[in-house]
Amino acid sequence: MTIRPPVIEITAAQKMFGSFQALSDICLSIEQGEIVTLLGPSGCGKTTLMRLIAGFETVTAGTVKIDGKDCADQPPERRPVNMVFQRYALFPHLDVFENVAFGLKVKGTPKAEIRERVQRMLHIVQLDSFANRYINELSGGQSQRVALARALVNGPKVLLLDEPLAALDLKIRQHMLVEMKRIHAETGATFVYVTHDQDEAMILSDRVVLMEKGRIVQVDRPEIMYAAPRSLFAAKFLGETNLFEATMASDDASGMTAVIASGLRFHSSVVPAGELRGKVIVSIRPESFRFARDNDTTQSATGQVEDVIFIGSRSFYTICLAGGFRVRVQIQRSTRTSLPKSGEKAEIFWDSENVVILPEA
Amino acid sequence: MKAPRSSMGSLLAAPAVLYMVVFFVVPSLILFVYSFWTAASYKIVPDFVFSNYLNSLMSPLFWTVTINAILIGLVTASITLVLAIPVGYYLVYVSRSQVILYLILITWFSSYLVRIYAWRTLLGTSGVLNTILLQAGIVDTPVGVFLFSRFAVAITLIHIYLPFCILLVVSSLSEIKKDLVDAARDLGASPLGAFFRIIAPNAANGLVGAFMLTFVMVAGDYVTPQMLGGSSGQTTGLLIADQFRKTGNWPLGAAQAFLMFLVSIALYFAVKGLGRATGLIVKRRPAKKVGA
Ligand SMILES: Nc1ncnc2c1ncn2[C@@H]1O[C@H](COP(=O)(O)OP(=O)(O)O)[C@@H](O)[C@H]1O
Ligand SMILES: [Mg+2]
Repeated sequence: MTIRPPVIEITAAQKMFGSFQALSDICLSIEQGEIVTLLGPSGCGKTTLMRLIAGFETVTAGTVKIDGKDCADQPPERRPVNMVFQRYALFPHLDVFENVAFGLKVKGTPKAEIRERVQRMLHIVQLDSFANRYINELSGGQSQRVALARALVNGPKVLLLDEPLAALDLKIRQHMLVEMKRIHAETGATFVYVTHDQDEAMILSDRVVLMEKGRIVQVDRPEIMYAAPRSLFAAKFLGETNLFEATMASDDASGMTAVIASGLRFHSSVVPAGELRGKVIVSIRPESFRFARDNDTTQSATGQVEDVIFIGSRSFYTICLAGGFRVRVQIQRSTRTSLPKSGEKAEIFWDSENVVILPEA
Repeated sequence: MKAPRSSMGSLLAAPAVLYMVVFFVVPSLILFVYSFWTAASYKIVPDFVFSNYLNSLMSPLFWTVTINAILIGLVTASITLVLAIPVGYYLVYVSRSQVILYLILITWFSSYLVRIYAWRTLLGTSGVLNTILLQAGIVDTPVGVFLFSRFAVAITLIHIYLPFCILLVVSSLSEIKKDLVDAARDLGASPLGAFFRIIAPNAANGLVGAFMLTFVMVAGDYVTPQMLGGSSGQTTGLLIADQFRKTGNWPLGAAQAFLMFLVSIALYFAVKGLGRATGLIVKRRPAKKVGA
């Protein structure tokens, strides 16, 4: 294995807009060929971070390296990265072909080569027959593909995508997500993908960079971030979860135990982000619960079924435990076991690997 | 659905149309009618003659001042536009501050005449400019041609109409999203490249409009030429104004005004044609409805 520098390496970066701190203490490195998503609520600084990489903003402190080189004084046109803008920003006075050819033309690429590369790229985004269409004759999904092609045709080291699917409706969005993965595989480019949509982030990413208020709060593979969030914010932002205020009871080699006000104990085998003591939060995802015991380590509690919502493949239960603690439970449809009905008593079971104990916010 | 909506549209447009008719179309028509009348001893007589047009077209004076007006107009409007574009660019894409725009517009509130006199002071033989040149040893004797010349007219007109032109440039640039400029930069264009490849083609109509409006205002201005133009800086605007003010020959003035109007229209098409020929203006396709 050869060791090469990360394509992007951001060290201790800060960005101030006047007295407003938009980004603080950003450290991030991105490897060749990865799809990394910047995920976080609106206003947390995702676009600003992306614009720092593209060169539209400059860091107030810290460094941004592309391909091992500090690019502090490189304007956007001299950086080997290309961007797909949220609203596409296609050039209205040019047709599809000319839009895609723009970057190559500016760089003085020979005509024949432009023609060939643009056509190959239009083929990849499946717009072969649209070369001579004008921008105002395209649908949202088609515009999106043109924007992708226009950036990718330049063979960027990194493709930056700023909420590229946000303006599309749900059906096209799901289709474009699949397309995006295919295009990534076909071009082998590194993708940095900004989104506030956790599903998009989960589906696409090799790694998710979770951001909150201008800071990176966690960087992990999506399945790890989902299973082992390191903060209350991460647990709440990715997927649905049950949260209980609790107090640490014990911490030993087999894991940690926290106890909630009703006396119910939760044992966790998930390695925590740091040392935990005193007041904590217990997080369990709704799909972690079952109505049947299947091994010895299983923990359990009894309660009353308050509400059942059936949505085909899954059912959602609201169960009220002793002390008035409500738990949301998600059960996969099954023909084998009989499930409790609304108003009945029910016992729920879970495993310690599904219990995450978090520091209080 | 279609019919009620379009009738609603025309209803909403009615005040604007009415305004145009009352304050533009009607006065223009009256003037147009006058241009075929005759003037005799300070009275205008209804008539139908072409002599006002023919006499103007055959008068060397008319042509001299018209060519002069066109030259001053073209040069001034070009310089004004070239100065207004970077300012407009800065206002729209860099500072995004309304305050600076308002400050620029406020200069318009200062009296027109005061500014003309200010330039007389600056450009005169004992003015600031000559003093600097003398002290720097660039000239030995004060330069007289600064004042009462085309130069004086042009520089004053630029000063007066620049805020107006900036306003027009800002409004035409505002329609072009910053994203487009960013996208062009991202794809490898320099700031100037982004201007010529993206902004100019998309703002072309607005910029040509800004140029032409500035041209019309400048070429029609008759106060500055009168006060600073001397004998070489006379323009059609002044000539026309004199027909109304001094000679009392309204029909002749009206005819000359319409000739100047035709010249302006011809120039507009010439400028657009030039833009098309150089590729700066691109014909946009009309928007079509598309399905998914
Ligand atoms: N040019 C700017 N000037 C001042 N504040 C800005 C500027 N750009 C972004 N911000 C602020 O920085 C914060 C982060 O913005 P942004 O990066 O666009 O967030 P996101 O893309 O995550 O929604 C926001 O509070 C926004 O108002
Ligand atoms: Mg954003």
